[in-house]
Amino acid sequence: MQENYLAKWLSGELSEEELREFENSPEYASYKRLKDATSGLQAPEFDPDLALQRLKEKHIYNTPKVISLNPFKKFLRVAAVVAILLVGSYFYVSTLNEKVSTAYAERSEVVLPDNSEIFLNADSQVSFSKKNWDNKRNVDLKGEAFFKVAKGKKFTVSTEHGTVAVLGTQFNVENRKDFFEVTCYEGLVRVTHNNQETKLPAGTSFLVINGKIVDDGMPSGSLPSWMNNESSFESIPLKYVFAELERQFDIKVSSKNIDTNLLFTGSFNNTDLDMALKSISTPSKTNYRVKGDNVLFYAGNTP
Amino acid sequence: MSNVCEDHIFSKVFKTHSKTVFNFIFYKFGNEEKAHDAVQEAFVKLWQNCAKVSPEKAKSYVYTVANNLYLNVIKAEKVRLKHANSLSNDRTNESPEFLMEEKEYKEKLDNALNALPDNQRTTFLLNRIDGKKYAEIAEMEGVSIKAIEKRMHLALKSLREHIDGI
Repeated sequence: MQENYLAKWLSGELSEEELREFENSPEYASYKRLKDATSGLQAPEFDPDLALQRLKEKHIYNTPKVISLNPFKKFLRVAAVVAILLVGSYFYVSTLNEKVSTAYAERSEVVLPDNSEIFLNADSQVSFSKKNWDNKRNVDLKGEAFFKVAKGKKFTVSTEHGTVAVLGTQFNVENRKDFFEVTCYEGLVRVTHNNQETKLPAGTSFLVINGKIVDDGMPSGSLPSWMNNESSFESIPLKYVFAELERQFDIKVSSKNIDTNLLFTGSFNNTDLDMALKSISTPSKTNYRVKGDNVLFYAGNTP
Repeated sequence: MSNVCEDHIFSKVFKTHSKTVFNFIFYKFGNEEKAHDAVQEAFVKLWQNCAKVSPEKAKSYVYTVANNLYLNVIKAEKVRLKHANSLSNDRTNESPEFLMEEKEYKEKLDNALNALPDNQRTTFLLNRIDGKKYAEIAEMEGVSIKAIEKRMHLALKSLREHIDGI
Protein backbone atom coordinates (compact mmCIF):
# COMPACT_ATOMS: atom_id res chain seq x y z
CA MET A 1 0.00 0.00 0.00
CA GLN A 2 1.31 3.44 -0.89
CA GLU A 3 1.79 6.24 1.56
CA ASN A 4 -1.39 7.94 2.79
CA TYR A 5 -3.48 5.33 1.01
CA LEU A 6 -6.58 6.26 2.99
CA ALA A 7 -6.44 9.76 1.55
CA LYS A 8 -5.88 8.34 -1.92
CA TRP A 9 -8.80 5.99 -1.46
CA LEU A 10 -11.13 8.88 -0.59
CA SER A 11 -10.01 10.89 -3.59
CA GLY A 12 -10.24 7.83 -5.85
CA GLU A 13 -6.56 7.76 -6.61
CA LEU A 14 -5.84 4.14 -5.69
CA SER A 15 -4.97 1.72 -8.46
CA GLU A 16 -7.38 -1.15 -9.10
CA GLU A 17 -5.00 -3.58 -7.50
CA GLU A 18 -4.54 -1.46 -4.40
CA LEU A 19 -8.28 -0.89 -4.20
CA ARG A 20 -8.98 -4.64 -4.30
CA GLU A 21 -6.38 -5.26 -1.64
CA PHE A 22 -7.86 -2.53 0.55
CA GLU A 23 -11.42 -3.78 0.05
CA ASN A 24 -10.37 -7.24 1.19
CA SER A 25 -8.74 -5.96 4.35
CA PRO A 26 -10.61 -6.49 7.63
CA GLU A 27 -10.85 -2.78 8.46
CA TYR A 28 -12.41 -1.87 5.10
CA ALA A 29 -15.98 -2.11 6.34
CA SER A 30 -15.26 0.42 9.08
CA TYR A 31 -13.72 2.89 6.63
CA LYS A 32 -16.56 2.41 4.16
CA ARG A 33 -19.08 3.25 6.82
CA LEU A 34 -17.06 6.25 7.91
CA LYS A 35 -17.01 7.48 4.34
CA ASP A 36 -20.76 7.08 3.94
CA ALA A 37 -21.55 8.66 7.27
CA THR A 38 -19.35 11.70 6.70
CA SER A 39 -20.74 12.30 3.24
CA GLY A 40 -24.00 13.24 4.90
CA LEU A 41 -22.46 15.78 7.25
CA GLN A 42 -23.56 19.39 7.01
CA ALA A 43 -21.96 22.58 8.19
CA PRO A 44 -24.07 25.21 9.96
CA GLU A 45 -26.19 27.48 7.80
CA PHE A 46 -24.35 30.29 6.14
CA ASP A 47 -26.08 32.78 3.87
CA PRO A 48 -23.49 34.61 1.74
CA ASP A 49 -25.99 37.26 0.58
CA LEU A 50 -26.95 38.10 4.12
CA ALA A 51 -23.33 38.17 5.24
CA LEU A 52 -22.41 40.45 2.34
CA GLN A 53 -25.26 42.79 3.17
CA ARG A 54 -24.17 42.88 6.77
CA LEU A 55 -20.59 43.54 5.75
CA LYS A 56 -21.54 46.41 3.47
CA GLU A 57 -23.86 48.07 5.96
CA LYS A 58 -21.69 47.67 8.98
CA HIS A 59 -18.22 48.16 7.65
CA ILE A 60 -17.83 49.23 4.09
CA TYR A 61 -20.32 52.07 3.88
CA ASN A 62 -19.05 53.50 7.14
CA THR A 63 -15.36 52.95 6.54
CA PRO A 64 -13.48 55.15 4.20
CA LYS A 65 -12.07 53.02 1.47
CA VAL A 66 -8.31 53.16 1.29
CA ILE A 67 -7.35 53.63 -2.30
CA SER A 68 -3.71 53.97 -2.96
CA LEU A 69 -2.95 57.06 -5.00
CA ASN A 70 0.49 55.81 -5.79
CA PRO A 71 -0.01 54.94 -9.45
CA PHE A 72 -1.21 58.45 -10.19
CA LYS A 73 1.45 60.05 -8.04
CA LYS A 74 4.06 58.02 -9.86
CA PHE A 75 2.63 59.14 -13.16
CA LEU A 76 2.72 62.77 -12.03
CA ARG A 77 6.31 62.40 -10.93
CA VAL A 78 7.33 60.96 -14.28
CA ALA A 79 5.34 63.61 -16.11
CA ALA A 80 7.03 66.36 -14.10
CA VAL A 81 10.48 65.02 -14.87
CA VAL A 82 9.67 64.73 -18.55
CA ALA A 83 8.27 68.27 -18.60
CA ILE A 84 11.35 69.67 -16.87
CA LEU A 85 13.63 67.83 -19.27
CA LEU A 86 11.69 69.09 -22.28
CA VAL A 87 11.62 72.70 -21.11
CA GLY A 88 15.23 72.51 -20.01
CA SER A 89 16.47 71.03 -23.24
CA TYR A 90 14.42 73.56 -25.23
CA PHE A 91 16.13 76.42 -23.45
CA TYR A 92 19.47 74.71 -23.68
CA VAL A 93 19.17 74.00 -27.38
CA SER A 94 17.87 77.48 -28.11
CA THR A 95 20.87 79.05 -26.43
CA LEU A 96 23.30 76.80 -28.24
CA ASN A 97 25.28 78.66 -30.80
CA GLU A 98 25.42 77.90 -34.45
CA LYS A 99 28.92 76.82 -35.22
CA VAL A 100 30.77 76.67 -38.52
CA SER A 101 34.37 75.59 -38.77
CA THR A 102 36.90 74.77 -41.43
CA ALA A 103 39.79 72.33 -41.41
CA TYR A 104 43.20 72.81 -42.96
CA ALA A 105 43.02 73.56 -46.69
CA GLU A 106 39.33 74.27 -46.42
CA ARG A 107 37.09 77.33 -46.93
CA SER A 108 33.58 78.04 -45.94
CA GLU A 109 30.97 80.74 -46.30
CA VAL A 110 28.37 81.59 -43.70
CA VAL A 111 25.31 83.71 -44.24
CA LEU A 112 24.05 85.26 -41.05
CA PRO A 113 20.35 85.82 -40.27
CA ASP A 114 20.57 89.46 -41.41
CA ASN A 115 22.28 88.45 -44.66
CA SER A 116 25.68 89.55 -43.44
CA GLU A 117 28.30 87.23 -44.87
CA ILE A 118 31.32 85.58 -43.34
CA PHE A 119 34.03 83.93 -45.43
CA LEU A 120 36.05 81.52 -43.35
CA ASN A 121 39.69 80.89 -44.20
CA ALA A 122 41.35 77.55 -43.46
CA ASP A 123 41.43 76.23 -39.85
CA SER A 124 38.93 78.74 -38.55
CA GLN A 125 35.70 78.73 -36.65
CA VAL A 126 32.83 81.13 -36.10
CA SER A 127 29.91 80.68 -33.76
CA PHE A 128 26.90 82.86 -33.15
CA SER A 129 23.44 82.68 -31.64
CA LYS A 130 20.83 82.40 -34.36
CA LYS A 131 17.94 82.88 -31.97
CA ASN A 132 19.36 85.93 -30.28
CA TRP A 133 20.75 87.44 -33.43
CA ASP A 134 18.26 90.29 -33.71
CA ASN A 135 19.16 91.49 -30.21
CA LYS A 136 22.85 91.00 -30.39
CA ARG A 137 24.90 90.73 -33.51
CA ASN A 138 27.91 88.96 -32.06
CA VAL A 139 30.23 86.44 -33.65
CA ASP A 140 32.95 84.51 -31.88
CA LEU A 141 35.90 83.95 -34.13
CA LYS A 142 38.88 81.68 -34.01
CA GLY A 143 41.20 81.88 -36.98
CA GLU A 144 40.65 84.16 -39.93
CA ALA A 145 37.55 85.41 -41.65
CA PHE A 146 36.40 88.16 -43.94
CA PHE A 147 33.18 89.89 -42.96
CA LYS A 148 30.65 91.67 -45.14
CA VAL A 149 28.33 93.13 -42.58
CA ALA A 150 24.87 94.32 -43.51
CA LYS A 151 23.97 97.76 -42.20
CA GLY A 152 22.17 97.72 -38.89
CA LYS A 153 22.90 97.62 -35.19
CA LYS A 154 26.37 97.16 -33.81
CA PHE A 155 28.06 94.04 -35.09
CA THR A 156 30.78 92.56 -32.90
CA VAL A 157 33.48 90.03 -33.63
CA SER A 158 34.91 88.58 -30.43
CA THR A 159 38.33 87.00 -30.47
CA GLU A 160 40.70 86.07 -27.72
CA HIS A 161 42.91 88.98 -28.73
CA GLY A 162 40.23 91.61 -28.77
CA THR A 163 36.92 92.61 -30.19
CA VAL A 164 36.01 94.29 -33.41
CA ALA A 165 32.87 96.38 -33.53
CA VAL A 166 31.26 97.77 -36.66
CA LEU A 167 27.99 99.12 -37.89
CA GLY A 168 28.08 97.98 -41.47
CA THR A 169 31.19 97.37 -43.45
CA GLN A 170 33.65 94.89 -44.92
CA PHE A 171 36.66 93.83 -42.98
CA ASN A 172 39.00 90.95 -42.37
CA VAL A 173 39.96 89.58 -38.98
CA GLU A 174 42.89 87.25 -38.61
CA ASN A 175 43.25 85.81 -35.17
CA ARG A 176 45.99 83.24 -34.87
CA LYS A 177 48.42 82.24 -32.18
CA ASP A 178 50.23 85.44 -31.04
CA PHE A 179 48.91 87.08 -34.19
CA PHE A 180 45.95 89.44 -34.53
CA GLU A 181 45.23 91.47 -37.59
CA VAL A 182 42.17 93.45 -38.53
CA THR A 183 41.92 95.01 -41.94
CA CYS A 184 39.11 97.33 -42.89
CA TYR A 185 38.06 97.49 -46.53
CA GLU A 186 34.97 99.64 -46.27
CA GLY A 187 33.36 101.87 -43.67
CA LEU A 188 34.76 102.14 -40.18
CA VAL A 189 35.87 99.45 -37.78
CA ARG A 190 36.49 99.86 -34.11
CA VAL A 191 39.06 97.45 -32.66
CA THR A 192 39.40 96.94 -28.93
CA HIS A 193 42.64 95.29 -27.92
CA ASN A 194 43.79 95.20 -24.30
CA ASN A 195 41.01 97.67 -23.46
CA GLN A 196 42.44 100.07 -25.96
CA GLU A 197 40.21 101.23 -28.72
CA THR A 198 41.50 101.88 -32.19
CA LYS A 199 39.37 103.30 -34.99
CA LEU A 200 40.15 101.78 -38.32
CA PRO A 201 38.94 103.62 -41.38
CA ALA A 202 38.68 101.91 -44.74
CA GLY A 203 42.01 100.98 -46.28
CA THR A 204 43.86 100.53 -43.00
CA SER A 205 44.74 97.61 -40.80
CA PHE A 206 45.63 96.91 -37.24
CA LEU A 207 48.25 94.30 -36.42
CA VAL A 208 49.40 92.81 -33.15
CA ILE A 209 52.22 90.29 -33.13
CA ASN A 210 53.21 88.69 -29.86
CA GLY A 211 51.22 91.27 -27.93
CA LYS A 212 52.99 94.19 -29.64
CA ILE A 213 51.15 96.54 -31.91
CA VAL A 214 53.00 96.62 -35.20
CA ASP A 215 52.72 99.32 -37.77
CA ASP A 216 51.06 97.70 -40.70
CA GLY A 217 51.11 98.71 -44.31
CA MET A 218 48.09 99.68 -46.35
CA PRO A 219 46.04 96.80 -47.63
CA SER A 220 45.89 96.53 -51.38
CA GLY A 221 42.67 95.86 -53.20
CA SER A 222 39.15 95.73 -51.81
CA LEU A 223 39.28 92.16 -50.56
CA PRO A 224 41.77 90.27 -48.44
CA SER A 225 44.13 88.47 -50.77
CA TRP A 226 43.14 85.04 -49.51
CA MET A 227 39.69 85.64 -50.93
CA ASN A 228 41.49 85.52 -54.29
CA ASN A 229 43.42 82.39 -53.32
CA GLU A 230 46.54 84.22 -52.42
CA SER A 231 48.16 84.76 -49.04
CA SER A 232 50.11 87.96 -48.92
CA PHE A 233 52.33 89.34 -46.21
CA GLU A 234 53.93 92.64 -45.53
CA SER A 235 56.82 92.56 -43.09
CA ILE A 236 55.50 89.52 -41.28
CA PRO A 237 57.83 87.15 -39.41
CA LEU A 238 58.54 84.06 -41.44
CA LYS A 239 57.05 81.71 -38.83
CA TYR A 240 53.56 83.17 -39.40
CA VAL A 241 54.08 82.71 -43.12
CA PHE A 242 54.96 79.07 -42.53
CA ALA A 243 51.92 78.66 -40.29
CA GLU A 244 49.68 80.06 -43.01
CA LEU A 245 51.30 77.73 -45.54
CA GLU A 246 50.48 74.78 -43.30
CA ARG A 247 46.86 75.89 -43.03
CA GLN A 248 46.38 76.49 -46.71
CA PHE A 249 47.83 73.20 -47.94
CA ASP A 250 47.33 70.95 -44.92
CA ILE A 251 51.00 70.16 -44.70
CA LYS A 252 53.63 70.16 -41.98
CA VAL A 253 56.29 72.83 -42.32
CA SER A 254 59.59 72.68 -40.47
CA SER A 255 62.76 74.69 -40.77
CA LYS A 256 66.43 74.29 -40.14
CA ASN A 257 69.09 76.96 -39.66
CA ILE A 258 66.57 79.66 -40.40
CA ASP A 259 65.64 82.61 -38.21
CA THR A 260 61.89 82.42 -38.46
CA ASN A 261 61.56 85.89 -36.98
CA LEU A 262 62.94 87.43 -40.15
CA LEU A 263 60.35 89.58 -41.80
CA PHE A 264 58.82 88.42 -45.00
CA THR A 265 57.13 90.51 -47.61
CA GLY A 266 55.46 88.78 -50.49
CA SER A 267 52.64 86.38 -51.22
CA PHE A 268 52.00 82.81 -52.19
CA ASN A 269 49.35 81.07 -54.19
CA ASN A 270 46.89 79.01 -52.17
CA THR A 271 46.16 76.44 -54.85
CA ASP A 272 49.56 75.44 -56.18
CA LEU A 273 51.97 74.18 -53.52
CA ASP A 274 54.96 74.08 -55.80
CA MET A 275 54.49 77.67 -56.80
CA ALA A 276 53.80 78.69 -53.23
CA LEU A 277 57.02 77.10 -52.00
CA LYS A 278 59.01 78.92 -54.64
CA SER A 279 57.26 82.16 -53.75
CA ILE A 280 58.48 81.83 -50.22
CA SER A 281 61.93 80.36 -50.74
CA THR A 282 63.13 82.78 -53.41
CA PRO A 283 62.61 86.10 -51.57
CA SER A 284 63.71 84.60 -48.23
CA LYS A 285 66.79 83.08 -49.84
CA THR A 286 66.10 79.64 -48.45
CA ASN A 287 65.88 76.18 -49.93
CA TYR A 288 63.15 73.63 -49.41
CA ARG A 289 62.59 69.93 -49.70
CA VAL A 290 59.22 68.18 -49.95
CA LYS A 291 58.70 64.73 -48.52
CA GLY A 292 55.07 63.63 -48.65
CA ASP A 293 53.13 66.06 -46.46
CA ASN A 294 56.28 67.44 -44.93
CA VAL A 295 58.18 70.45 -46.13
CA LEU A 296 61.57 71.42 -44.77
CA PHE A 297 62.95 74.91 -45.32
CA TYR A 298 66.64 75.24 -44.78
CA ALA A 299 69.38 77.74 -45.29
CA GLY A 300 72.45 77.19 -47.38
CA ASN A 301 73.13 74.04 -49.29
CA THR A 302 72.81 71.32 -46.69
CA PRO A 303 69.47 70.38 -45.18
CA MET B 1 -7.69 45.43 -15.43
CA SER B 2 -10.43 44.41 -13.04
CA ASN B 3 -9.98 45.55 -9.50
CA VAL B 4 -11.33 44.21 -6.22
CA CYS B 5 -12.29 47.80 -5.39
CA GLU B 6 -15.05 47.54 -7.98
CA ASP B 7 -18.26 46.63 -6.21
CA HIS B 8 -19.33 43.83 -8.53
CA ILE B 9 -15.92 42.15 -8.43
CA PHE B 10 -15.82 42.36 -4.66
CA SER B 11 -19.33 40.95 -4.33
CA LYS B 12 -18.42 38.10 -6.66
CA VAL B 13 -15.32 37.25 -4.64
CA PHE B 14 -17.40 37.39 -1.49
CA LYS B 15 -20.13 35.09 -2.79
CA THR B 16 -17.57 32.61 -4.11
CA HIS B 17 -15.43 32.31 -1.03
CA SER B 18 -17.27 33.52 2.07
CA LYS B 19 -18.97 30.18 2.74
CA THR B 20 -15.68 28.32 2.62
CA VAL B 21 -14.03 30.89 4.88
CA PHE B 22 -16.90 30.42 7.30
CA ASN B 23 -16.63 26.63 7.27
CA PHE B 24 -12.86 26.75 7.41
CA ILE B 25 -12.96 28.70 10.68
CA PHE B 26 -15.89 26.73 12.03
CA TYR B 27 -14.22 23.36 11.47
CA LYS B 28 -11.13 24.66 13.15
CA PHE B 29 -12.64 26.21 16.26
CA GLY B 30 -16.19 24.86 16.35
CA ASN B 31 -17.49 28.36 17.06
CA GLU B 32 -20.18 29.62 14.70
CA GLU B 33 -20.12 33.16 15.97
CA LYS B 34 -16.38 33.44 15.55
CA ALA B 35 -16.69 31.96 12.06
CA HIS B 36 -19.19 34.67 11.13
CA ASP B 37 -16.89 37.31 12.57
CA ALA B 38 -13.92 35.88 10.68
CA VAL B 39 -15.80 36.24 7.40
CA GLN B 40 -16.57 39.87 8.20
CA GLU B 41 -13.06 40.66 9.32
CA ALA B 42 -11.35 38.95 6.40
CA PHE B 43 -13.48 40.67 3.78
CA VAL B 44 -13.30 44.10 5.44
CA LYS B 45 -9.52 43.78 5.28
CA LEU B 46 -9.78 42.75 1.65
CA TRP B 47 -11.95 45.79 0.93
CA GLN B 48 -9.58 48.15 2.69
CA ASN B 49 -6.66 46.79 0.71
CA CYS B 50 -8.55 46.23 -2.50
CA ALA B 51 -6.09 48.28 -4.55
CA LYS B 52 -3.19 46.11 -3.48
CA VAL B 53 -4.82 42.69 -3.87
CA SER B 54 -5.52 41.38 -7.35
CA PRO B 55 -8.71 39.33 -7.90
CA GLU B 56 -6.57 36.20 -8.37
CA LYS B 57 -4.87 36.76 -5.02
CA ALA B 58 -8.11 37.67 -3.19
CA LYS B 59 -8.96 34.03 -2.42
CA SER B 60 -5.75 33.17 -0.60
CA TYR B 61 -5.75 36.64 0.96
CA VAL B 62 -9.05 36.10 2.80
CA TYR B 63 -8.09 32.60 3.96
CA THR B 64 -4.81 33.90 5.31
CA VAL B 65 -6.46 36.78 7.14
CA ALA B 66 -9.18 34.52 8.58
CA ASN B 67 -6.69 31.89 9.57
CA ASN B 68 -4.39 34.36 11.33
CA LEU B 69 -7.26 36.07 13.07
CA TYR B 70 -7.75 33.51 15.83
CA LEU B 71 -4.36 31.93 15.74
CA ASN B 72 -3.48 31.06 19.33
CA VAL B 73 -6.32 33.28 20.53
CA ILE B 74 -9.32 31.05 21.01
CA LYS B 75 -9.55 27.50 22.13
CA ALA B 76 -11.33 25.05 19.93
CA GLU B 77 -14.83 24.18 21.04
CA LYS B 78 -16.91 21.18 20.19
CA VAL B 79 -17.73 21.12 16.53
CA ARG B 80 -21.37 20.33 16.08
CA LEU B 81 -22.42 19.15 12.68
CA LYS B 82 -25.75 18.11 11.31
CA HIS B 83 -26.13 14.58 10.09
CA ALA B 84 -28.28 14.00 7.12
CA ASN B 85 -30.18 10.77 7.28
CA SER B 86 -28.62 9.64 4.11
CA LEU B 87 -28.08 6.12 5.36
CA SER B 88 -31.73 5.58 6.14
CA ASN B 89 -33.27 7.50 3.28
CA ASP B 90 -33.61 4.50 1.06
CA ARG B 91 -34.87 2.26 3.77
CA THR B 92 -38.48 2.34 4.66
CA ASN B 93 -38.70 -0.09 7.48
CA GLU B 94 -36.04 0.31 10.06
CA SER B 95 -35.96 -1.62 13.20
CA PRO B 96 -35.61 0.21 16.51
CA GLU B 97 -32.35 -1.63 16.99
CA PHE B 98 -31.05 -0.31 13.73
CA LEU B 99 -32.05 3.27 14.51
CA MET B 100 -30.48 2.98 17.91
CA GLU B 101 -27.26 1.70 16.45
CA GLU B 102 -27.33 4.49 13.89
CA LYS B 103 -27.71 7.12 16.57
CA GLU B 104 -24.88 5.67 18.56
CA TYR B 105 -22.62 5.64 15.55
CA LYS B 106 -23.28 9.33 14.88
CA GLU B 107 -22.43 10.20 18.43
CA LYS B 108 -19.22 8.24 18.22
CA LEU B 109 -18.40 9.98 14.96
CA ASP B 110 -19.01 13.40 16.53
CA ASN B 111 -16.76 12.55 19.42
CA ALA B 112 -14.11 11.14 17.15
CA LEU B 113 -14.18 14.28 14.98
CA ASN B 114 -13.79 16.51 17.99
CA ALA B 115 -10.92 14.41 19.25
CA LEU B 116 -8.98 15.08 16.07
CA PRO B 117 -6.27 17.74 16.03
CA ASP B 118 -7.68 21.02 14.65
CA ASN B 119 -5.82 20.92 11.38
CA GLN B 120 -6.74 17.29 10.65
CA ARG B 121 -10.42 17.97 11.38
CA THR B 122 -10.41 21.12 9.24
CA THR B 123 -8.80 19.32 6.33
CA PHE B 124 -11.06 16.30 6.66
CA LEU B 125 -14.27 18.31 6.81
CA LEU B 126 -13.32 20.71 4.02
CA ASN B 127 -12.90 17.63 1.87
CA ARG B 128 -15.92 15.66 3.05
CA ILE B 129 -18.44 18.47 3.43
CA ASP B 130 -17.27 21.16 1.05
CA GLY B 131 -15.85 18.76 -1.51
CA LYS B 132 -12.58 20.69 -1.63
CA LYS B 133 -9.76 18.96 -3.46
CA TYR B 134 -6.54 18.36 -1.55
CA ALA B 135 -4.80 20.92 -3.75
CA GLU B 136 -7.33 23.61 -2.80
CA ILE B 137 -7.01 22.86 0.89
CA ALA B 138 -3.25 22.95 0.56
CA GLU B 139 -3.57 26.43 -0.94
CA MET B 140 -5.85 27.64 1.86
CA GLU B 141 -3.62 26.31 4.57
CA GLY B 142 -0.45 27.31 2.85
CA VAL B 143 1.08 23.85 3.01
CA SER B 144 1.94 21.16 0.44
CA ILE B 145 -0.58 18.74 -1.05
CA LYS B 146 1.41 15.91 0.47
CA ALA B 147 0.91 17.40 3.94
CA ILE B 148 -2.84 17.55 3.33
CA GLU B 149 -2.87 13.91 2.19
CA LYS B 150 -1.02 13.01 5.35
CA ARG B 151 -3.59 14.83 7.45
CA MET B 152 -6.42 13.09 5.61
CA HIS B 153 -4.85 9.72 6.10
CA LEU B 154 -4.20 10.28 9.77
CA ALA B 155 -7.69 11.72 10.27
CA LEU B 156 -9.33 8.64 8.73
CA LYS B 157 -7.13 6.34 10.75
CA SER B 158 -7.85 8.12 14.04
CA LEU B 159 -11.58 8.34 13.36
CA ARG B 160 -11.84 4.63 12.63
CA GLU B 161 -9.78 3.71 15.66
CA HIS B 162 -11.85 6.01 17.85
CA ILE B 163 -15.16 4.67 16.53
CA ASP B 164 -14.14 1.02 16.61
CA GLY B 165 -12.68 1.50 20.03
CA ILE B 166 -9.23 0.29 19.16
